[in-house]
Amino acid sequence: MKKLVYFIYAFPLLLVWCACEKRVDIEIAYEGDKLVMNTFMQPDSLIYVRVTRSVPVSEYDETAFKEEAGAQVNIAASDGTVLPVTLQTIAGRRYFVSGMPAKPGLQYKVSAGSSGLQPVSAYDTLPAVPQVRDGSAQKSSTRIKFILRDYPGTGNYYRLRVFTVENSSAKSALLFRLDPAFNNNLIDMIANGNSTSLIMDDSRFDGRELTFVLQTQDPINQSDSLMVEVTTLTYNAWQYLRTVALQQGNSGVIVSEPIRVFSNVGNGYGIVAGINTKRLVFKVD
Amino acid sequence: MSLTGKLLTVLFFLSLPLQVLGWDWQTKVTVVVQHQSLQTVCELLEKNYNIHFSYSRDLVNLSRKVTVTVHNQRLKTVLEDLFAPDDIKFTRVGDLLVLLPNNKTTRTINGYVKDAATGERLPGATIWSPTLQQGTVTNQYGFFSFTTTKDTSSVVVSFIGYQPQWRQFPKNDRTIEISLESTTLLKEVVVNGGEGNNLQNQTQMSKVNISSAAVNKTPRLLGDADLIRTLQAIPGVSGGMDGVSGLHVRGGSPDQNLILLDGSPIFNFSHFFGIFSLINPDVVKSTDLYKGAFPARFGGRLSSVVDITLKDGDMNSFHGDAAIGLISTKFDLEGPIVKDKTSFIVSARRSYPDLVYNSLIRLEDDEKNEADLSAYFYDINAKLNHIFSPKDRLYLSFYTGEDKMSLHLDSTSIPDTAKINMLSSGFDVSWGNTIGALRWNHIYGPKLFSNISLNYSTYAFSTQIGYKYTLPAANELIDQVGSYRSRMEIAGVRADFDYRPAPSHGLRFGTAVNIHDFKPSMSTFADKSGSVTPLDTVANGPQNTAAEMLLYIEDDWQLSPVFFVNAGLHASGFLVSGKLYHSLQPRLGLRYMLPKNWALKAAYTQMNQYIHLLSNYGTSLPTDIWVPATDRVAPMSSRQMALGIAKTSNRQVYEFTVEGYYKNMHNMIELRDPMGFITPDLLRWEDQVSVGRGWSYGGEVMIAKKKGTTTGWIGYTLSWSTRKFADINNGKIFPYKYDHRHDVEVVFNQVLAKNWDFSASWRFSTGSPLTLPVASYEGIETGSPWDPVTGPGNSIDRYGNRYNYRTENSHRLDIGINWTKQRAKWSRTWNFSVINVYNHKNPFYYYVKRDDEAKQRYLSKVVILPILPSVTYSVKF
Repeated sequence: MKKLVYFIYAFPLLLVWCACEKRVDIEIAYEGDKLVMNTFMQPDSLIYVRVTRSVPVSEYDETAFKEEAGAQVNIAASDGTVLPVTLQTIAGRRYFVSGMPAKPGLQYKVSAGSSGLQPVSAYDTLPAVPQVRDGSAQKSSTRIKFILRDYPGTGNYYRLRVFTVENSSAKSALLFRLDPAFNNNLIDMIANGNSTSLIMDDSRFDGRELTFVLQTQDPINQSDSLMVEVTTLTYNAWQYLRTVALQQGNSGVIVSEPIRVFSNVGNGYGIVAGINTKRLVFKVD
Repeated sequence: MSLTGKLLTVLFFLSLPLQVLGWDWQTKVTVVVQHQSLQTVCELLEKNYNIHFSYSRDLVNLSRKVTVTVHNQRLKTVLEDLFAPDDIKFTRVGDLLVLLPNNKTTRTINGYVKDAATGERLPGATIWSPTLQQGTVTNQYGFFSFTTTKDTSSVVVSFIGYQPQWRQFPKNDRTIEISLESTTLLKEVVVNGGEGNNLQNQTQMSKVNISSAAVNKTPRLLGDADLIRTLQAIPGVSGGMDGVSGLHVRGGSPDQNLILLDGSPIFNFSHFFGIFSLINPDVVKSTDLYKGAFPARFGGRLSSVVDITLKDGDMNSFHGDAAIGLISTKFDLEGPIVKDKTSFIVSARRSYPDLVYNSLIRLEDDEKNEADLSAYFYDINAKLNHIFSPKDRLYLSFYTGEDKMSLHLDSTSIPDTAKINMLSSGFDVSWGNTIGALRWNHIYGPKLFSNISLNYSTYAFSTQIGYKYTLPAANELIDQVGSYRSRMEIAGVRADFDYRPAPSHGLRFGTAVNIHDFKPSMSTFADKSGSVTPLDTVANGPQNTAAEMLLYIEDDWQLSPVFFVNAGLHASGFLVSGKLYHSLQPRLGLRYMLPKNWALKAAYTQMNQYIHLLSNYGTSLPTDIWVPATDRVAPMSSRQMALGIAKTSNRQVYEFTVEGYYKNMHNMIELRDPMGFITPDLLRWEDQVSVGRGWSYGGEVMIAKKKGTTTGWIGYTLSWSTRKFADINNGKIFPYKYDHRHDVEVVFNQVLAKNWDFSASWRFSTGSPLTLPVASYEGIETGSPWDPVTGPGNSIDRYGNRYNYRTENSHRLDIGINWTKQRAKWSRTWNFSVINVYNHKNPFYYYVKRDDEAKQRYLSKVVILPILPSVTYSVKF
């Protein structure tokens, strides 16, 4: 009898399992080469601008994003200052680097042009420094705590990242999420919501000072020190990072509509946005 | 004159008529006669109460023999009962009671049409006078009222699947019951209503009736016949994704369908994530699908009405069915409680693969901890009905159905000090509908019928989660439990009246009051270790209670022998959060008879929908949440125009329908980005949606063969459906997600031999809209190349206009064969079905795949419905 039951179920199940993927032989149209301009501008830091070129969707190799070394890049501040720009190669990648740091309170317009491609431009401001302090964590635990004070009355946006620290510098990123007990959300218990960065707005804690509790995916055993990086974001930076995370999280499932990544670059792709980062490095108890 | 004198004078004049005339209408009389003529009764009244009758023996016939036993009853009541059957009018002239023949030139016959064997009332049966070319159709409760010329002596009464019957009219206008004998060729039944109910005789257009026999004959998916999949084979109806019981009618979305189960609305009409319909088709008596030209009695949704009537239960004998398929097993039983007075029907269905798997397979997690898994759906139907009198009947119906899944794990492994050690976890999720209805049918007179109903419907989604784990090295024990519930309720009272004042008018009017209660996204969360202060209180969704009121009236009006009008008005109001939304929705249907019995029809309807569905995927999911209209997101509304011609051939063998339609929709919503429903996002849902408009237009052709050993239909739809939202697709118009340019449906049924019948359906759809990226480009993570990074960098896909591609065409052939063996008191049937016979790989969805082995990126499609055979065994007694 069991064999019969197995047979009855095995056959249709086999067919269902056969129901799988099939490559579709159509060519996905390419919109054509466009300039891609990316920079996150930080107060009191030089501005690093990447200028590359878009590729067809079928391109597998990410290194195919061709750098536009011959591009003309201009960076202008809202006070009329035009920042000098030089092309530098850093860790094997080419950046257009400003000759002076960005100043808080100013808006910066970045534009680029390259032969055969439409010139692009975008601008943004710089956000205030995040008010964070008192990072702490316990060995073999999964919880990391720090205190964040939110600026009241305005919409603020944040990115959190956590790294192990070795020789006073970040070594590897940890997978983490808001502790479910802190986030007060039962879906955290069943969803694998861990990631290496967390993008959020302040709608749940506008103007408050509170102790954030993060939960790492694995117990904290691998490092004596940790770094919690808290970055305030402009609206443009927040929209970009949020939609990038959504698109990446949605990959492989097109039952819902695909996520369009935010871009403020006219005539091209990419993002020009302000961020402000503060890092808390602390010993693991 | 003194006060006493005045009072006496008044009393004198007041009592004068009584003293002089001796009787009035309130006079209490007693009459006891047995089998005596009316004339004798009159003489008795004259003798005992001094009531003098005056009448002409040529005009008023008092020869009818009657038996009367009344004691101390009002004179007027007694006279009404005595003379009404003979159409004799009476009036008072002085002290004479004058009898006159009723000069009316029409008469009204009313009653019910029922199945002769089971007593089941037959909605949609036709009462037709061939000589006058006039007729009527029984309503949802099998009631008819036919006002016709006085000299009409007989009519033909018919209903598909039953022997037509010539019926002589009774002499009086009492309520009659007409019993039709079921034909043995019930298998022929495929689509549409009564035999005499020719399309050219109905002003109603854009409506299709599906019988339960038609549903049961269609090829079965995993052994289950399915109502919604049968409806998907109707022109103008699309199913959405392959294999899913979606319902997209004339370019509308699934939330725009009003699905009524015995008059109660259903919020989520599927089991098993949309694969199966909510209800066991064996207990469905008939289903009416309205794609447009909505009668005024319906409202509250934009795109369609699916009006499902359940069986009442056999009044004469006990019957039942039991069936087992690959997914579910079911039974139903019906019979009399008091013969010809009270009957019941009860049915139950449960999926059972979880029982089989649990008995055969041990489920383990990665740590070899045994898990208890259950996943199933069930539904239960029960209905009672009782006939109190020929004029009064009561129905009590109940439905509950649920999908349930649970997974529980208890750790048996030794704790690892370097890891998180799960001690136990539990996950339970369930969703389902519960529906109840109490309905009272009452006949006030030959021309007036009413249905008063109390309805209740609720849809609930519920999750409970528990997770307990330990971190031995940190001496931490975490014990968290949480729950999430979402509930939508509607309760109401409704009164519908059916009034046939004259042969050229059929009035329906009514009112309803419904209370909606929205409790979306109710969460609880508890961390028993209690060492962390939560960020905020638990987020709950926006709770609301709303009151909906409606009034409607419609008249089926014959303006001339060739021109008919159905004019109606539906007025409704929706009170929520102190704000009243209201609308007047005109409904108009026109019919003009063309030569050779073709009917030219036109319709205009306006519909309003006061509730919105927040759905991420454009198809119905258990987690979907209904929310009421707000100041910022107003109620949806639509206007639809339709024009068509229709005809049923002379012998009712063929039906031809051609219709064109144009529909626009306002205040539709669409989520800008996927939204989490168990998050505070829901409280700000108005910020997450875009409000826009939609348009649908197209044409439908349907040719059906209704009689003979070969039946079925061919349908073709040419359609366009588009949307426009200010902040989606840069404000440009884009096609609806399930916009198909061409759809073809062929449904074929063949009686092969006495015990064998065969069915097949073939569907073809041109591609659906699809959004594919138009480029890839480099992303950015940090502000400086010296900053730490979390990954190897990212590649971003650039999407241009929404729906810049179309999927490939999809088509599928499904077949089924039934073998039935009839025994003396029972029969058994084997059904063998094959879905997707030629194994065409229809897409379920597409995505751009990054193939790390082939080092390529390409478009890939996921197929979920390959060739899929199934077998079902059923017995009927």
